[in-house]
Amino acid sequence: MTAVYAGPRELLEIDLSAKTWRRSALGDEVFADALGGVGLAVRLIGERVRGPLDPLGPENPIVFAAGPFASTPVPAANKHALATISPLTGLLNEGLSSSHFSAVLRRCGLAAIVITGACDEWTTLAIDGDAVRFEDASALRGLSARETTKALRDAYGDRSLRVCAIGAAGERGVRFASVENDGRQAGRGGTGAVFGAKRLKAVALRGRGEVPIADPEATARISATLRERALGPKTAKYRILGTGANLRVLQRMGQLPTRNFTAAQFEGAENVTPERARESKATYLELRAGCAGCPVQCEHLYVRKERDRRGAAASEYESVWAFGPNCGVDDLDAVLDAIARCDELGLDTISTGSAIAFAMECAQHALVPRDAFGPELRFGNGAVLLPAIGAIANRTGLGDVLAGGVRAAAECIGGGAERFAMHCKGLELPGYEPRALPTYALGLATCTRGACHNRAATYDRDLRDPSDDRDDEARARDAIEAEDRAVAWDSLVLCKFVRDCFEDFETEAAALWSAVSGIPLDAAGLRAAAQRTWERKRAINARLGWTPSDDTLPERLLTEPIPSGLNAGRRVDPERLSSLRAAYESLRCAAGAAAMVG
Amino acid sequence: MKVELFGMARALAGVSHVELALDEPAELGDFLRSLAEAVPALVPDVIAPALDALIEPNLLLLDGRRALREGETIRTSDRPCVLFLASGG
Repeated sequence: MTAVYAGPRELLEIDLSAKTWRRSALGDEVFADALGGVGLAVRLIGERVRGPLDPLGPENPIVFAAGPFASTPVPAANKHALATISPLTGLLNEGLSSSHFSAVLRRCGLAAIVITGACDEWTTLAIDGDAVRFEDASALRGLSARETTKALRDAYGDRSLRVCAIGAAGERGVRFASVENDGRQAGRGGTGAVFGAKRLKAVALRGRGEVPIADPEATARISATLRERALGPKTAKYRILGTGANLRVLQRMGQLPTRNFTAAQFEGAENVTPERARESKATYLELRAGCAGCPVQCEHLYVRKERDRRGAAASEYESVWAFGPNCGVDDLDAVLDAIARCDELGLDTISTGSAIAFAMECAQHALVPRDAFGPELRFGNGAVLLPAIGAIANRTGLGDVLAGGVRAAAECIGGGAERFAMHCKGLELPGYEPRALPTYALGLATCTRGACHNRAATYDRDLRDPSDDRDDEARARDAIEAEDRAVAWDSLVLCKFVRDCFEDFETEAAALWSAVSGIPLDAAGLRAAAQRTWERKRAINARLGWTPSDDTLPERLLTEPIPSGLNAGRRVDPERLSSLRAAYESLRCAAGAAAMVG
Repeated sequence: MKVELFGMARALAGVSHVELALDEPAELGDFLRSLAEAVPALVPDVIAPALDALIEPNLLLLDGRRALREGETIRTSDRPCVLFLASGG
């Protein structure tokens, strides 16, 4: 007898053009195959994207897929996937967000929502239990996601309404605009621009249904163990310091990309580390936040004491890096203000900081005017960050060029500007130095999403021993394991910050899935499900025009050695990268063949 | 022997580095016991209660560049650093 999936199983399909919707039940085999979250979102995208499409056209689907542990006692699991075809890369983009919105998605009885079409006027999609309404959102134009949430809650007279929305950047089609719910962002890849192209300002949810669990006792037992571990030393760095503490570490290791990857150590790093704000208690107020149901509460926000605490900025490593070391800015206030402004406008901080760093280098080479944003556009000038961010969001002047991402901007600017465009497949690089992290370099090149550190987190392995001299096959195997494991995490969907809380992730996570869902799964089954989803990701990209030659790195990393510091002289040798990619493809091919035989 | 501290180790110690009174070259076990003695607050969040290992994700890197090999000893000139794996979210 086929096992029965215990959780919410309905698929809500919305056609914004026709203003129609329908609910249908997904079969047990869908959950057994794809689990949930990214696995389910990728399956649903794959069923709908059969060839090249315009990411900003009405045919591009947006898929919300609930994490299968959302709204259950499982800690750090109130999460959902948000997938679409990225306007930045033209390829699959599967992001994650979290907190109350994810939980309420399931309380509406939903496993997933698929949105296609486009509205004529700005619209809020209101999902109220079983009902769906298309509501006028013209009054919400220009508001931030936070302001939109407040306005909708006031209109509904319901403070528990859960809202996912875009800011001004998404409305104006900035190709790295984010989508926000509950103060959390699905930041990368420009999903906010896809919302904007559909004139979809917000999705509002209200649902109070029960979320059934197959084996509540086993779920509670495993969850209690995880929760206890999540309050222990394995997550202490997130609870006590937050990810911003990475900055000092990477600086010490000579692996902190600086001034658009022209250096790997930043002389002003100490001034912008969030620990500096934490230690300056007389100057800064520290606020803590986190996702619903998460014991870690990893977010550390800072604001100068004399200022309104609503302007506090999240000090995530990647955001601080993007506006600090990557722009050569050592002014912590300027960096925090830039982060807060991006959240307000609905911009991905990594891509925004990278676009500004790219423009700074272009200005250095007289390819763009130094006064394009008013204050001088040069590395180290914190005064230019806010005007540049405003111009990007408003799409004015050089800001309009940068709003397409660094790949498109380089094509537009010309004059060799592509040398300064730090991206993989169109997605800007995050804050780790690939020239000093060889396995990570391979993972960045092969990642189906572009340069995403969370889908190819191979830096973990490299950082354990930066001098390790493994051969190509070992590195390729590590990269594949990291990719597949990320898919497993993102399909279940568990926060990666609790990854050290599992003693044997695959076995324990499979047991948790079995207890919650009622569909038996073991470690091998979890690995197979992750591999299936990874193969679907690549198949979708192939339909969209991806070829293996796209799996490469920016020219700078291949041709310019790190100029100074602990890792001086290191670069990614193009021949070594080719060899690593060959080993990777060979192993991927063998794994695919083995899965087919199995 | 000077030991540089980062992340949790620095937050718990309240200082960026400590000096250990330790004969060189030092075995890993002696190094950890001496470090725990100098900064008791590092146990148990950074150093395991048995004082024989660092708690993951903390790790010991020499000059931020390489891990200690099996059976290798530590000298001041190695510039030992206690830091943690940097993992974004």
